[in-house]
Amino acid sequence: MITGAFFLLALFVLPMWNITLEAPQYPDSIGMDIWINKITDHNPNDIKNINLMNHYVGMKPIPEHMREFEIFPWVIGVMSFIGVAIGFIGKKNLYLAWFIVMIILGAAGMYDFYLWEYDYGHNLDPTAAIKIPGQGYQPPLIGRKEILNFTAISRPMSGAYFLFAGILMSLFAYFISKGEELKYEKEEAI
Amino acid sequence: MNTKKIQILSVVFFLALCSCTRAEKENTSELTLPDNTPKGQASVVDNESDKNILQVAIGSSDHSTLVAAVQAAEIEHVLVNAGPLTVFAPVNQAFADLPEGTVSNLLKPENKQQLANILTLHAAPGSYNKEALIKSAERGRKLYMATGDYLEIRVTGEDVYVGGAKVIATVPTSNGIINVVDRVILPPGS
Amino acid sequence: MKTKIKFIASGILLVTIMAVLGCTTQNNGSGALSSNVAERAYVAPGEHDEFYAFVSGGFSGQLSVYGLPSGRLFRVIPVFSVDAEKAYGFNEETKPMLETTFGFIPWDDSHHPDISQTNGEIDGRWVFINANNTPRIARISLETFETEEIIEIPNSAGNHSSSFVTENTEYVVAGTRFSVPVPQQDISIDEYKSNFKGAISFIGIDQESGRMNLDFQILMPGFNYDLAHPGRGKSHGWMFFSTYNTEEANTLLEVNASQNDKDFIAAINWKKAEEYIQQGRFREMETAYAHNVYDESTHMATSTIKRTVKVLDPAELPGLVYFLPTPKSPHGCDVDPTGEYIIGSGKLSAALTAHSFTKMLDAIENERFDGEAYGVPILNYDDVVAGVVEQAGLGPLHTEFDTEGNGYTTFFISSEVVKWKVGTWEVVDRKPTYYSVGHLMIPGGNSRKPFGKYLLAMNKITKDRYLPTGPELTQSAQLYDISGEKMELILDFPTVGEPHYAAGAPADLIAPRSKKFYELDDNNHPYSIKNESEARVERDGNVVHIYMSTIRSHFAPDNIEGIKVGDRVYFHVTNLEQDFDVPHGISMIGANTSELLIMPGQTETFVWEPKKVGVWPFYCTDFCSALHQEMQGYVRVSPRNSDIELSWSLDGE
Repeated sequence: MITGAFFLLALFVLPMWNITLEAPQYPDSIGMDIWINKITDHNPNDIKNINLMNHYVGMKPIPEHMREFEIFPWVIGVMSFIGVAIGFIGKKNLYLAWFIVMIILGAAGMYDFYLWEYDYGHNLDPTAAIKIPGQGYQPPLIGRKEILNFTAISRPMSGAYFLFAGILMSLFAYFISKGEELKYEKEEAI
Repeated sequence: MNTKKIQILSVVFFLALCSCTRAEKENTSELTLPDNTPKGQASVVDNESDKNILQVAIGSSDHSTLVAAVQAAEIEHVLVNAGPLTVFAPVNQAFADLPEGTVSNLLKPENKQQLANILTLHAAPGSYNKEALIKSAERGRKLYMATGDYLEIRVTGEDVYVGGAKVIATVPTSNGIINVVDRVILPPGS
Repeated sequence: MKTKIKFIASGILLVTIMAVLGCTTQNNGSGALSSNVAERAYVAPGEHDEFYAFVSGGFSGQLSVYGLPSGRLFRVIPVFSVDAEKAYGFNEETKPMLETTFGFIPWDDSHHPDISQTNGEIDGRWVFINANNTPRIARISLETFETEEIIEIPNSAGNHSSSFVTENTEYVVAGTRFSVPVPQQDISIDEYKSNFKGAISFIGIDQESGRMNLDFQILMPGFNYDLAHPGRGKSHGWMFFSTYNTEEANTLLEVNASQNDKDFIAAINWKKAEEYIQQGRFREMETAYAHNVYDESTHMATSTIKRTVKVLDPAELPGLVYFLPTPKSPHGCDVDPTGEYIIGSGKLSAALTAHSFTKMLDAIENERFDGEAYGVPILNYDDVVAGVVEQAGLGPLHTEFDTEGNGYTTFFISSEVVKWKVGTWEVVDRKPTYYSVGHLMIPGGNSRKPFGKYLLAMNKITKDRYLPTGPELTQSAQLYDISGEKMELILDFPTVGEPHYAAGAPADLIAPRSKKFYELDDNNHPYSIKNESEARVERDGNVVHIYMSTIRSHFAPDNIEGIKVGDRVYFHVTNLEQDFDVPHGISMIGANTSELLIMPGQTETFVWEPKKVGVWPFYCTDFCSALHQEMQGYVRVSPRNSDIELSWSLDGE
């Protein structure tokens, strides 16, 4: 349980998500890495070049600041702290509770990500140079999607894997301690 | 000129085209056997420029033996090179004056190299008309030939001798000078 | 009517003749090439070539970059001549590159590129090339493919036996073709003999930055110095120069310089020269030469005049120079990959001469000399010669080597390339060139490690090889496959200017280090701006500085007012892009200079002196993006005495 809770902290040093754009004129592709508190170039200058491309269709530049960047680190930090604490307390039901809260938070995070992507892909500048009626530019939540001549690929990165692993470990911790309890109960019964 | 003549000419034209097609066909079947005796620059078609050494020699009925020898030795392209070259061109009689059988022997394919050497001995890098030869003689200079040999220049009265051959006429050409001589110059010591 | 028939008839005749002629040439052409040959020179769309070839531009003054085996031209690097396309010599940043002690010179004649080496192997850091007319050496970066440095060579004239690098790029050497009075003075040309000197320059190279410094010069006898080659392996530390006109003629050289049976190859022991410099046995000579350096961080060049050079006199310094007699005005002077043989190509001769380095050292040690010339010992021809390639062809010029111990020599007069065996000196193969070949190049073929595979012959004459283009025809190169026993001609391709010489290297040595763009953060140009918010216009008297930026697809600012007739307006334009292959261009109507072509992250400047009142447009000259055609702006020019305030804007802001 404690290890799982610590795994959350990996998000502070590893990127969580990545969106990559592939197109013939970018033989090396361009992309951005999403962290819990920032968005960075996958290769130097990628965001600048994504913004340059996108401004023609009226998409807003990739934000340097988002409200989420202030909230996420606290949420992760607090949840990690609570996880460690309940690890020491060692109550199995608390493990389960932590797991459920994490799942809810994770789902909320993905939903928030979707909302941002929707806004990013649909809320276009009316004075944009290129307008294609009905064309949305929303990147996929996860997986591949063709957007005009670009292929957008959205996928979790190492930080997210640590997050999943951490959450799963809390569930394991719950089952293991439940198993031990059963064993204990059995022994007592004998 | 009447229509009949035009018809004849048209037939000639047609035949020429046919022969051309046939030649091409033959050639296609021989693709793997490339022509190993390219003439190089000598085969450039150009009837407008001033004539070069080879063209002048070909046009001179007095030098048919020399031209035949040059062709047998396959050194035509040397005589059309940018030069400047000075060629001492023996007249037909000069070849005829050689011992019986010499020329026909040299023209045999197996003696190609020997023939090429003899002919190259008749070429000097640089431009030497009669005045230049006299000047060289006055300064005690020998004439350096393309074979690496040196030939003596001798002036007797108004006559100039190179390697024992008397210059009987001088013809300027586009890539050098032809000095017509009355004898074939043989390699020193032969 | 009759004339009409005649006309038609002669027309048919003419066509017939042409058909027959066309037929003949066609036969010649297709006979030489099989489809398999075509495949070997074919590089499919999107594929890359195996080698880079850096081919001298001759009288274009530039250096062109080709791919082999395709013969595709990638770039013409401006070096010694202005290039309006790239603003080289036109923008304020690069004008100093072409400064000399004679002032700004817009042209030169570039001859012999040579790639830097480490341990005698091509390393792909820099390529050097010489200016023949006003003696200079340039260094070109193989990361940016830009000319980074040009150094003028004093006491030299006709900088022909240049620019050859030593085994570890310790030096680039430059030898004079013309001997001249040193220092220059007003004397009769008839005083040539013994008064004229031939300066050989050793330019030291800083291994980190590549910066050139004229370390010392050796003042040689007044011969003509033609080509040079460094020793390698056992002969490392020596440099060999071919000489002609050892007759010291000063007129009608075509005759007067062809009298001596043998001229010399000069063997210079530069390690010995370094010792003499250490010992202070040099003379510090007053002179003047320009040293021009382009700084990648400021994107600007500076030109400085240097005033002294250290000179060494071989007559006073034993062991510095020896002369090796070599037949008939040698042109090429080439050292085989082992460093043992020095091949002299007497250009008026029919044979090649190979000198042995070992025999040369032996003769020197035993002091077997055959006299001297101006205090320089002459060795005996028979003591140093290792072999002769007999009856190889007419007019040998230049030799390079493959990996299998073969030499390949070009013959100008007999117009062919001849392959021969090093050591046995037998001719193995010969192939014609079309026409009159000068130099040849095998990638790495002048180093310790040739790459073999291809041979590039550079021809002086093309005549009928291509579609005609009036009296001035293209010059050309021809590619031979030399991987087999017999050479095979696989490609003809036209060249820029006259290709004198070339240097080749495997693509993987250079391509991975090729720069994609300049970092904007590292741009230290004094007039650069890092983002649009810094864009502005400043006036200082009648001088106006516009700090302008470009990014897809606009200029900032793009509306400028308050400029007056008689102003001197500097457009300092920074390309804010940080993306591979997005240059922007700019030009202003009526500007008396070239466009600018600005790479991402770079700043360039052009000057505009408005002469007419009005509103004048400028635009992007490089198709940069979908909205390139929208990338434009206006400058309002008011009369000289106008009091309109200076103002600028982008989208009303």
